[in-house]
Amino acid sequence: MIKISHLRKEYPNATPLKDVNVEINRGDVISIIGPSGTGKSTLIRCINKLETPTSGEIWVDGNCITSKKCDINKVRQKMGMVFQSFNLFNHMNVIENIMAAPMDLLGKSKQQAYDDGMQLLRTVGLADKAFNYPDELSGGQKQRIAIARTLAMNPEIILFDEPTSALDPTMVGEVQAVIKELANKGLTMMIVTHEMRFAKEIANRVFYMDEGGIYEDGTPEQIFENPQKEKTARFIKRIKVFENLITSKDFDFIGFNTSLEEFGRRCGISQKAIYRMQSVFEELCVQIILPELSKDFALNVTAEYSQEDDSIAVQIKYSGKAFNPMDSDNILSLKLAQNAAQSIEYAPCNEEGFTNMLVVKIK
Amino acid sequence: MNINKTVNATELTVALEGRLDTATAPALEAELNQSLAGITKLVLDFSALEYLSSAGLRVLLSAQKAMNKQGEMIVKNVNETISEIFEVTGFCDVLTIE
Repeated sequence: MIKISHLRKEYPNATPLKDVNVEINRGDVISIIGPSGTGKSTLIRCINKLETPTSGEIWVDGNCITSKKCDINKVRQKMGMVFQSFNLFNHMNVIENIMAAPMDLLGKSKQQAYDDGMQLLRTVGLADKAFNYPDELSGGQKQRIAIARTLAMNPEIILFDEPTSALDPTMVGEVQAVIKELANKGLTMMIVTHEMRFAKEIANRVFYMDEGGIYEDGTPEQIFENPQKEKTARFIKRIKVFENLITSKDFDFIGFNTSLEEFGRRCGISQKAIYRMQSVFEELCVQIILPELSKDFALNVTAEYSQEDDSIAVQIKYSGKAFNPMDSDNILSLKLAQNAAQSIEYAPCNEEGFTNMLVVKIK
Repeated sequence: MNINKTVNATELTVALEGRLDTATAPALEAELNQSLAGITKLVLDFSALEYLSSAGLRVLLSAQKAMNKQGEMIVKNVNETISEIFEVTGFCDVLTIE
Protein backbone atom coordinates (compact mmCIF):
# COMPACT_ATOMS: atom_id res chain seq x y z
CA MET A 1 0.00 0.00 0.00
CA ILE A 2 2.85 2.37 0.84
CA LYS A 3 6.31 1.79 -0.53
CA ILE A 4 9.22 3.96 0.55
CA SER A 5 12.60 3.72 -1.12
CA HIS A 6 15.78 5.60 -0.27
CA LEU A 7 13.86 8.34 1.51
CA ARG A 8 16.12 11.09 2.79
CA LYS A 9 15.15 14.27 4.61
CA GLU A 10 17.75 16.88 5.38
CA TYR A 11 17.36 20.10 7.34
CA PRO A 12 20.08 22.74 7.43
CA ASN A 13 21.35 21.48 10.79
CA ALA A 14 20.20 17.85 10.91
CA THR A 15 19.38 14.83 8.76
CA PRO A 16 16.71 12.88 10.64
CA LEU A 17 16.12 10.46 7.75
CA LYS A 18 19.16 9.20 5.86
CA ASP A 19 17.92 6.19 3.90
CA VAL A 20 14.51 4.74 4.69
CA ASN A 21 13.34 1.69 2.75
CA VAL A 22 10.14 -0.03 3.77
CA GLU A 23 6.84 -1.44 2.51
CA ILE A 24 3.61 -1.04 4.42
CA ASN A 25 0.81 -3.45 3.69
CA ARG A 26 -2.91 -2.76 3.66
CA GLY A 27 -4.29 -3.24 7.16
CA ASP A 28 -0.92 -2.87 8.87
CA VAL A 29 -1.07 -1.10 12.22
CA ILE A 30 2.41 0.20 12.83
CA SER A 31 3.75 1.73 16.02
CA ILE A 32 6.75 3.95 15.47
CA ILE A 33 8.97 4.24 18.51
CA GLY A 34 12.47 5.47 19.25
CA PRO A 35 14.45 8.18 21.01
CA SER A 36 13.68 11.87 20.40
CA GLY A 37 15.08 13.35 17.22
CA THR A 38 15.25 10.09 15.27
CA GLY A 39 12.83 11.19 12.55
CA LYS A 40 9.63 9.42 13.67
CA SER A 41 7.36 12.40 13.04
CA THR A 42 9.40 13.46 10.01
CA LEU A 43 8.73 10.05 8.44
CA ILE A 44 4.95 10.26 8.69
CA ARG A 45 4.96 13.93 7.71
CA CYS A 46 6.89 12.95 4.55
CA ILE A 47 4.30 10.27 3.77
CA ASN A 48 1.54 12.86 3.37
CA LYS A 49 3.97 15.50 2.13
CA LEU A 50 3.62 17.92 4.99
CA GLU A 51 7.40 17.73 4.61
CA THR A 52 9.05 17.52 1.20
CA PRO A 53 11.63 14.74 1.11
CA THR A 54 15.15 15.75 0.06
CA SER A 55 15.41 12.62 -2.09
CA GLY A 56 13.90 9.17 -2.52
CA GLU A 57 10.48 7.93 -3.52
CA ILE A 58 7.21 7.31 -1.71
CA TRP A 59 4.48 5.33 -3.45
CA VAL A 60 0.95 5.31 -2.07
CA ASP A 61 -1.47 2.90 -3.76
CA GLY A 62 0.55 3.00 -6.98
CA ASN A 63 0.93 6.80 -7.04
CA CYS A 64 4.42 8.18 -6.69
CA ILE A 65 3.69 11.09 -4.35
CA THR A 66 7.24 12.38 -4.56
CA SER A 67 6.82 12.93 -8.30
CA LYS A 68 6.02 16.50 -9.37
CA LYS A 69 3.10 15.28 -11.46
CA CYS A 70 1.32 13.77 -8.47
CA ASP A 71 -1.94 15.39 -7.33
CA ILE A 72 -1.14 15.34 -3.63
CA ASN A 73 -4.60 16.55 -2.62
CA LYS A 74 -6.14 13.47 -4.19
CA VAL A 75 -3.70 11.23 -2.32
CA ARG A 76 -4.31 13.10 0.92
CA GLN A 77 -8.04 12.31 0.66
CA LYS A 78 -7.13 8.69 1.28
CA MET A 79 -4.81 9.63 4.09
CA GLY A 80 -5.89 11.20 7.37
CA MET A 81 -3.56 12.76 9.88
CA VAL A 82 -4.08 13.23 13.60
CA PHE A 83 -1.76 15.74 15.24
CA GLN A 84 -0.42 16.06 18.75
CA SER A 85 -2.09 19.47 19.07
CA PHE A 86 -5.54 18.48 17.67
CA ASN A 87 -5.64 21.36 15.10
CA LEU A 88 -9.42 21.83 15.35
CA PHE A 89 -11.02 24.98 13.93
CA ASN A 90 -11.86 26.93 17.07
CA HIS A 91 -14.42 29.19 15.36
CA MET A 92 -16.53 26.18 14.37
CA ASN A 93 -18.48 23.92 16.67
CA VAL A 94 -17.72 20.23 16.85
CA ILE A 95 -20.10 18.98 14.16
CA GLU A 96 -19.09 21.82 11.81
CA ASN A 97 -15.46 20.81 12.25
CA ILE A 98 -16.39 17.31 11.15
CA MET A 99 -18.73 18.32 8.29
CA ALA A 100 -16.42 20.84 6.59
CA ALA A 101 -14.07 18.59 4.66
CA PRO A 102 -16.64 16.00 3.45
CA MET A 103 -18.81 18.85 2.06
CA ASP A 104 -15.91 20.75 0.46
CA LEU A 105 -13.83 17.86 -0.83
CA LEU A 106 -16.14 14.86 -1.16
CA GLY A 107 -19.14 16.88 -2.31
CA LYS A 108 -21.43 15.53 0.38
CA SER A 109 -24.71 17.31 1.02
CA LYS A 110 -25.07 19.16 4.30
CA GLN A 111 -27.58 16.62 5.58
CA GLN A 112 -25.41 13.66 4.58
CA ALA A 113 -22.33 15.24 6.15
CA TYR A 114 -24.32 15.94 9.32
CA ASP A 115 -25.74 12.43 9.56
CA ASP A 116 -22.35 10.80 8.92
CA GLY A 117 -20.70 13.22 11.33
CA MET A 118 -23.14 12.40 14.12
CA GLN A 119 -22.54 8.70 13.50
CA LEU A 120 -18.80 9.27 13.85
CA LEU A 121 -19.31 11.29 17.03
CA ARG A 122 -21.21 8.35 18.47
CA THR A 123 -18.25 6.11 17.50
CA VAL A 124 -15.88 8.26 19.55
CA GLY A 125 -18.45 8.65 22.34
CA LEU A 126 -19.02 12.39 21.96
CA ALA A 127 -22.39 12.78 20.21
CA ASP A 128 -23.60 14.99 23.07
CA LYS A 129 -20.82 17.52 22.33
CA ALA A 130 -21.83 18.11 18.70
CA PHE A 131 -22.78 21.76 19.26
CA ASN A 132 -20.02 22.65 21.69
CA TYR A 133 -17.00 24.64 20.59
CA PRO A 134 -13.49 23.16 20.89
CA ASP A 135 -12.61 25.55 23.75
CA GLU A 136 -15.34 23.94 25.84
CA LEU A 137 -13.78 20.48 25.59
CA SER A 138 -11.02 18.70 27.45
CA GLY A 139 -7.82 17.70 25.64
CA GLY A 140 -8.92 14.07 25.42
CA GLN A 141 -12.29 15.10 23.96
CA LYS A 142 -10.63 17.42 21.43
CA GLN A 143 -8.39 14.62 20.25
CA ARG A 144 -11.35 12.24 19.89
CA ILE A 145 -13.10 14.95 17.81
CA ALA A 146 -9.95 15.32 15.70
CA ILE A 147 -10.01 11.57 15.08
CA ALA A 148 -13.71 11.71 14.13
CA ARG A 149 -12.96 14.56 11.73
CA THR A 150 -10.21 12.51 10.10
CA LEU A 151 -12.57 9.52 9.78
CA ALA A 152 -15.18 11.72 8.08
CA MET A 153 -13.02 11.65 4.94
CA ASN A 154 -13.18 7.83 4.81
CA PRO A 155 -9.41 7.53 4.75
CA GLU A 156 -7.68 4.27 3.95
CA ILE A 157 -4.63 5.29 5.92
CA ILE A 158 -4.42 7.29 9.15
CA LEU A 159 -1.18 8.77 10.38
CA PHE A 160 -1.04 9.63 14.08
CA ASP A 161 1.70 11.99 15.23
CA GLU A 162 2.02 11.47 18.99
CA PRO A 163 -1.74 11.60 19.48
CA THR A 164 -1.63 11.42 23.27
CA SER A 165 1.50 13.32 24.19
CA ALA A 166 -0.24 16.67 24.72
CA LEU A 167 -2.85 15.14 27.01
CA ASP A 168 -3.16 14.88 30.77
CA PRO A 169 -2.37 11.32 31.87
CA THR A 170 -6.04 10.93 32.89
CA MET A 171 -7.16 11.46 29.27
CA VAL A 172 -4.67 9.25 27.49
CA GLY A 173 -6.77 6.11 27.99
CA GLU A 174 -9.93 7.43 26.28
CA VAL A 175 -8.00 8.46 23.15
CA GLN A 176 -6.07 5.19 23.03
CA ALA A 177 -9.34 3.25 23.32
CA VAL A 178 -10.72 5.07 20.26
CA ILE A 179 -7.54 4.38 18.25
CA LYS A 180 -7.66 0.69 19.25
CA GLU A 181 -11.22 0.47 17.94
CA LEU A 182 -10.03 1.78 14.58
CA ALA A 183 -7.21 -0.75 14.47
CA ASN A 184 -9.80 -3.52 14.80
CA LYS A 185 -11.67 -2.18 11.77
CA GLY A 186 -8.84 -2.93 9.35
CA LEU A 187 -7.66 0.63 8.66
CA THR A 188 -3.99 1.03 7.81
CA MET A 189 -2.44 3.10 10.55
CA MET A 190 0.95 4.46 11.50
CA ILE A 191 1.27 5.78 15.03
CA VAL A 192 4.20 7.70 16.42
CA THR A 193 4.07 7.22 20.17
CA HIS A 194 6.10 7.30 23.36
CA GLU A 195 3.58 5.09 25.18
CA MET A 196 5.29 1.72 25.02
CA ARG A 197 2.43 -0.37 26.36
CA PHE A 198 0.05 1.17 23.83
CA ALA A 199 2.60 0.71 21.02
CA LYS A 200 2.88 -2.96 21.90
CA GLU A 201 -0.83 -3.66 22.32
CA ILE A 202 -2.15 -1.92 19.24
CA ALA A 203 0.32 -2.81 16.51
CA ASN A 204 0.97 -5.83 14.33
CA ARG A 205 4.29 -4.26 13.42
CA VAL A 206 6.70 -1.95 15.25
CA PHE A 207 9.35 0.30 13.73
CA TYR A 208 12.17 1.22 16.07
CA MET A 209 13.78 4.31 14.57
CA ASP A 210 17.40 5.29 15.11
CA GLU A 211 20.54 6.14 13.11
CA GLY A 212 18.56 7.94 10.41
CA GLY A 213 16.20 5.14 9.49
CA ILE A 214 14.07 2.19 10.56
CA TYR A 215 16.72 0.51 12.68
CA GLU A 216 14.58 -2.52 13.49
CA ASP A 217 11.24 -3.59 12.03
CA GLY A 218 9.44 -6.46 13.69
CA THR A 219 6.40 -7.79 15.44
CA PRO A 220 5.60 -6.29 18.86
CA GLU A 221 6.78 -9.56 20.42
CA GLN A 222 10.14 -9.30 18.66
CA ILE A 223 10.74 -5.63 19.36
CA PHE A 224 9.54 -5.58 22.97
CA GLU A 225 10.52 -9.02 24.17
CA ASN A 226 13.31 -10.20 21.95
CA PRO A 227 14.91 -7.26 20.10
CA GLN A 228 17.55 -8.43 17.66
CA LYS A 229 19.67 -5.28 17.63
CA GLU A 230 21.63 -3.58 20.36
CA LYS A 231 20.13 -0.10 20.27
CA THR A 232 16.59 -1.45 20.25
CA ALA A 233 17.34 -3.61 23.27
CA ARG A 234 18.88 -0.65 25.04
CA PHE A 235 15.87 1.55 24.34
CA ILE A 236 13.34 -1.10 25.35
CA LYS A 237 15.10 -1.87 28.61
CA ARG A 238 15.30 1.89 29.22
CA ILE A 239 18.98 1.63 29.76
CA LYS A 240 20.61 4.91 30.60
CA VAL A 241 24.11 5.35 29.34
CA PHE A 242 27.17 7.34 30.34
CA GLU A 243 30.06 7.50 27.90
CA ASN A 244 33.42 9.22 28.03
CA LEU A 245 36.50 8.92 25.83
CA ILE A 246 39.93 9.61 27.32
CA THR A 247 42.87 10.28 25.00
CA SER A 248 45.32 12.06 27.31
CA LYS A 249 46.92 11.08 30.60
CA ASP A 250 46.26 14.66 31.72
CA PHE A 251 42.50 14.24 31.29
CA ASP A 252 40.10 15.97 33.67
CA PHE A 253 39.86 13.38 36.46
CA ILE A 254 37.68 15.54 38.69
CA GLY A 255 35.37 16.43 35.80
CA PHE A 256 35.08 12.76 34.87
CA ASN A 257 34.13 11.76 38.41
CA THR A 258 31.65 14.61 38.65
CA SER A 259 29.87 13.57 35.46
CA LEU A 260 29.83 9.94 36.59
CA GLU A 261 28.23 11.09 39.83
CA GLU A 262 25.66 13.18 37.93
CA PHE A 263 24.86 10.18 35.75
CA GLY A 264 24.32 8.09 38.88
CA ARG A 265 22.00 10.70 40.35
CA ARG A 266 19.98 10.93 37.13
CA CYS A 267 19.50 7.16 37.29
CA GLY A 268 18.48 7.41 40.95
CA ILE A 269 21.10 4.91 42.12
CA SER A 270 22.51 4.94 45.66
CA GLN A 271 25.55 6.96 46.72
CA LYS A 272 27.27 3.69 47.57
CA ALA A 273 26.79 2.42 44.00
CA ILE A 274 28.11 5.75 42.66
CA TYR A 275 31.27 5.35 44.78
CA ARG A 276 31.63 1.80 43.47
CA MET A 277 31.47 2.98 39.84
CA GLN A 278 34.04 5.64 40.66
CA SER A 279 36.23 3.12 42.42
CA VAL A 280 36.15 0.75 39.42
CA PHE A 281 37.08 3.63 37.15
CA GLU A 282 39.84 4.98 39.36
CA GLU A 283 41.47 1.67 40.27
CA LEU A 284 41.21 -0.09 36.91
CA CYS A 285 41.53 2.79 34.47
CA VAL A 286 43.61 5.37 36.28
CA GLN A 287 45.81 3.19 38.49
CA ILE A 288 46.24 0.07 36.35
CA ILE A 289 45.42 0.63 32.66
CA LEU A 290 46.59 4.21 32.01
CA PRO A 291 50.19 3.64 33.19
CA GLU A 292 50.41 0.74 30.70
CA LEU A 293 49.33 2.81 27.69
CA SER A 294 51.78 4.55 25.38
CA LYS A 295 51.48 8.23 24.38
CA ASP A 296 48.81 7.96 21.68
CA PHE A 297 45.97 5.98 23.14
CA ALA A 298 42.22 5.79 23.46
CA LEU A 299 40.34 4.63 26.51
CA ASN A 300 36.58 4.61 26.40
CA VAL A 301 34.38 4.20 29.47
CA THR A 302 30.69 3.38 29.13
CA ALA A 303 28.40 2.91 32.10
CA GLU A 304 24.94 1.47 31.54
CA TYR A 305 22.19 1.50 34.10
CA SER A 306 19.26 -0.83 33.51
CA GLN A 307 16.05 0.20 35.21
CA GLU A 308 14.65 -3.24 34.55
CA ASP A 309 16.92 -5.08 36.96
CA ASP A 310 18.50 -2.10 38.72
CA SER A 311 21.98 -3.13 37.59
CA ILE A 312 25.02 -1.16 36.45
CA ALA A 313 27.56 -2.44 33.94
CA VAL A 314 30.77 -0.59 33.13
CA GLN A 315 32.52 -1.30 29.85
CA ILE A 316 36.13 -0.18 29.45
CA LYS A 317 37.74 -0.36 25.99
CA TYR A 318 41.34 0.64 25.36
CA SER A 319 44.05 0.56 22.73
CA GLY A 320 47.58 -0.79 22.91
CA LYS A 321 49.03 -4.24 23.36
CA ALA A 322 46.91 -7.02 24.80
CA PHE A 323 46.76 -6.37 28.53
CA ASN A 324 44.48 -7.94 31.11
CA PRO A 325 44.40 -5.68 34.19
CA MET A 326 43.66 -8.72 36.33
CA ASP A 327 47.28 -9.78 35.69
CA SER A 328 48.57 -6.51 37.11
CA ASP A 329 50.88 -6.55 40.14
CA ASN A 330 49.02 -3.57 41.57
CA ILE A 331 47.30 -5.76 44.15
CA LEU A 332 45.92 -2.86 46.15
CA SER A 333 44.00 -1.39 43.21
CA LEU A 334 42.82 -4.81 42.11
CA LYS A 335 41.44 -5.54 45.58
CA LEU A 336 39.53 -2.26 45.61
CA ALA A 337 38.14 -2.82 42.11
CA GLN A 338 37.11 -6.36 43.00
CA ASN A 339 35.45 -5.06 46.15
CA ALA A 340 33.29 -2.73 44.05
CA ALA A 341 32.51 -5.29 41.37
CA GLN A 342 30.33 -8.33 41.14
CA SER A 343 32.36 -9.57 38.19
CA ILE A 344 35.22 -8.35 36.00
CA GLU A 345 35.67 -9.97 32.60
CA TYR A 346 38.46 -9.29 30.15
CA ALA A 347 38.37 -10.03 26.40
CA PRO A 348 40.27 -8.86 23.33
CA CYS A 349 38.36 -6.23 21.35
CA ASN A 350 38.09 -5.98 17.56
CA GLU A 351 36.39 -2.59 17.34
CA GLU A 352 38.16 0.14 15.43
CA GLY A 353 40.69 1.89 17.66
CA PHE A 354 40.41 -0.59 20.53
CA THR A 355 42.19 -3.86 21.25
CA ASN A 356 41.14 -4.64 24.82
CA MET A 357 37.82 -4.72 26.60
CA LEU A 358 36.74 -5.14 30.20
CA VAL A 359 33.16 -5.62 31.30
CA VAL A 360 32.57 -4.90 34.96
CA LYS A 361 29.29 -5.54 36.70
CA ILE A 362 28.97 -3.24 39.70
CA LYS A 363 27.88 -4.78 43.01
CA MET B 1 39.10 17.71 49.73
CA ASN B 2 39.64 19.96 52.72
CA ILE B 3 42.50 19.31 55.12
CA ASN B 4 42.11 20.84 58.59
CA LYS B 5 45.11 20.67 60.90
CA THR B 6 45.17 21.19 64.65
CA VAL B 7 48.44 21.04 66.57
CA ASN B 8 48.54 20.52 70.32
CA ALA B 9 52.18 20.38 71.49
CA THR B 10 53.48 17.22 69.76
CA GLU B 11 50.03 15.92 68.78
CA LEU B 12 48.79 16.69 65.29
CA THR B 13 45.17 16.14 64.31
CA VAL B 14 44.36 16.14 60.61
CA ALA B 15 40.67 16.16 59.73
CA LEU B 16 39.84 15.25 56.13
CA GLU B 17 36.68 16.31 54.39
CA GLY B 18 35.52 14.99 51.01
CA ARG B 19 37.39 12.62 48.72
CA LEU B 20 40.86 11.20 49.17
CA ASP B 21 41.63 9.93 45.67
CA THR B 22 44.08 10.20 42.78
CA ALA B 23 43.39 13.94 42.48
CA THR B 24 43.67 14.87 46.16
CA ALA B 25 46.14 12.35 47.65
CA PRO B 26 49.24 14.35 46.57
CA ALA B 27 48.00 17.36 48.60
CA LEU B 28 47.66 15.27 51.76
CA GLU B 29 51.05 13.70 51.16
CA ALA B 30 52.69 17.14 50.82
CA GLU B 31 50.86 18.44 53.88
CA LEU B 32 51.99 15.53 56.05
CA ASN B 33 55.55 15.66 54.75
CA GLN B 34 55.97 19.20 56.02
CA SER B 35 54.04 18.76 59.27
CA LEU B 36 55.34 15.58 60.86
CA ALA B 37 58.67 16.89 62.22
CA GLY B 38 58.60 16.64 66.03
CA ILE B 39 55.13 15.06 66.11
CA THR B 40 54.73 12.02 68.34
CA LYS B 41 51.01 11.44 67.86
CA LEU B 42 49.21 11.80 64.54
CA VAL B 43 45.40 11.60 64.63
CA LEU B 44 43.55 11.31 61.34
CA ASP B 45 39.92 12.27 61.74
CA PHE B 46 37.83 10.69 58.96
CA SER B 47 34.40 11.77 60.17
CA ALA B 48 33.84 13.84 56.99
CA LEU B 49 35.77 11.61 54.58
CA GLU B 50 33.42 10.24 51.93
CA TYR B 51 35.58 8.33 49.47
CA LEU B 52 38.96 6.66 49.67
CA SER B 53 40.95 5.09 46.84
CA SER B 54 44.25 3.23 46.56
CA ALA B 55 46.04 6.55 45.98
CA GLY B 56 44.83 7.69 49.42
CA LEU B 57 45.68 4.37 51.02
CA ARG B 58 49.28 4.69 49.83
CA VAL B 59 49.59 8.07 51.56
CA LEU B 60 48.17 6.59 54.75
CA LEU B 61 50.67 3.74 54.53
CA SER B 62 53.67 6.04 54.19
CA ALA B 63 52.37 8.21 57.06
CA GLN B 64 52.05 5.07 59.19
CA LYS B 65 55.63 4.12 58.33
CA ALA B 66 56.88 7.59 59.27
CA MET B 67 54.98 7.59 62.55
CA ASN B 68 56.20 4.09 63.44
CA LYS B 69 59.65 5.70 63.75
CA GLN B 70 58.61 8.69 65.83
CA GLY B 71 55.46 7.81 67.74
CA GLU B 72 51.97 6.61 66.88
CA MET B 73 49.21 7.17 64.33
CA ILE B 74 45.51 6.77 64.99
CA VAL B 75 42.66 6.82 62.48
CA LYS B 76 39.30 7.70 64.02
CA ASN B 77 35.66 8.24 63.11
CA VAL B 78 35.73 5.88 60.12
CA ASN B 79 32.41 5.44 58.34
CA GLU B 80 31.05 2.16 56.97
CA THR B 81 32.23 2.68 53.37
CA ILE B 82 35.79 3.53 54.40
CA SER B 83 35.82 0.76 56.99
CA GLU B 84 34.93 -1.76 54.26
CA ILE B 85 37.91 -0.51 52.24
CA PHE B 86 40.27 -0.96 55.19
CA GLU B 87 38.99 -4.49 55.63
CA VAL B 88 39.23 -5.74 52.04
CA THR B 89 42.71 -4.29 51.62
CA GLY B 90 44.02 -5.59 54.96
CA PHE B 91 44.74 -2.01 56.12
CA CYS B 92 42.73 -2.71 59.27
CA ASP B 93 45.67 -4.87 60.39
CA VAL B 94 48.25 -2.18 59.64
CA LEU B 95 46.51 0.93 60.94
CA THR B 96 45.29 1.69 64.44
CA ILE B 97 41.61 2.40 63.92
CA GLU B 98 39.55 3.73 66.77
